[in-house]
Amino acid sequence: MELSNIEKLLEKYFEGETTISEEKELKVYFTRETVPSHLERYKDLFQYFSEESNITATKDLKLHTTSRKSWYTWVGVAASIALIVGLFVTNMPLGQDENLGTYEDPEVALQETKKILNMVSQYMNEGKQELVYLKEFENTKNKFIK
Amino acid sequence: MKERAFITLTNGFKDKLFRLAKRLLVSNEEAEDATQEVLLKLWKNKNKMAEYKNVEAFAMTMTKNYCYDKLKAKETANLKIVHSNYKDKQPSLQREIEAKDNLDWVGKIMNSLPEQQRMVIQLRDIEQYDNAEIAEMLGINETAVRVTLSRGRKKIREELLKKHNYGVV
Repeated sequence: MELSNIEKLLEKYFEGETTISEEKELKVYFTRETVPSHLERYKDLFQYFSEESNITATKDLKLHTTSRKSWYTWVGVAASIALIVGLFVTNMPLGQDENLGTYEDPEVALQETKKILNMVSQYMNEGKQELVYLKEFENTKNKFIK
Repeated sequence: MKERAFITLTNGFKDKLFRLAKRLLVSNEEAEDATQEVLLKLWKNKNKMAEYKNVEAFAMTMTKNYCYDKLKAKETANLKIVHSNYKDKQPSLQREIEAKDNLDWVGKIMNSLPEQQRMVIQLRDIEQYDNAEIAEMLGINETAVRVTLSRGRKKIREELLKKHNYGVV
């Protein structure tokens, strides 16, 4: 394009009277390699404009914030239901256990009881034997503290 | 409206929302947040979407309002945080750095303009909306758009001239 034409366009441009297509022409003209020196300073301006229009947003749009929130509430509801049901089930009396080890014959019962008691006393005595050492401890203490 | 349809619809102008937010809020992170917020709001009101004549323009207006709120909140917080979006610059060709620097300079000039001018230039020179659309998005009339545009452009030219003549400002 002719130089005078460009200058005319520039004048119009700064008055805000150029059309979009005229501005495009200016942009094309000023993004070329060589521009007359007295117009050099406008080069930056138009280059800046065309460069700025290439900037893009880097973050992707997330629309899930609301649905995720409701998802959390549903998880909460499910968890509390599970908890309540769990408590209820574990507290329920289990089915009656029929076999409690009861003896029908009193004679047998007596013998069994005796056997158990004997066993208890036997373990008792075995345990008590170990307590002899305690006496030794006492004796030694008495040697020092009179 | 299904999610997929919504995403394909908004993908068409998502970056434009981001760039407008970035123009106003400067910080990359805040602009990302703003874009997310606006799109989420739009998604929540998806049932009303059919009523809007132009969803894109509507979303742009929403972005503008959201950013204004943010800026106002920052002002009242009495705390100024300067975002510079640090980048490590690899040493490369001198010319390349210089060119990059010059472009950064234009960005700085642009971000020093009043918000209205900044937005109009963003929408017109970068996003290439026509004046009628911009007027609709910003809720002002077309003449105001043209005047703001001209003022903003002239201001940029003035600053560029200063820089060109003195080298540094």
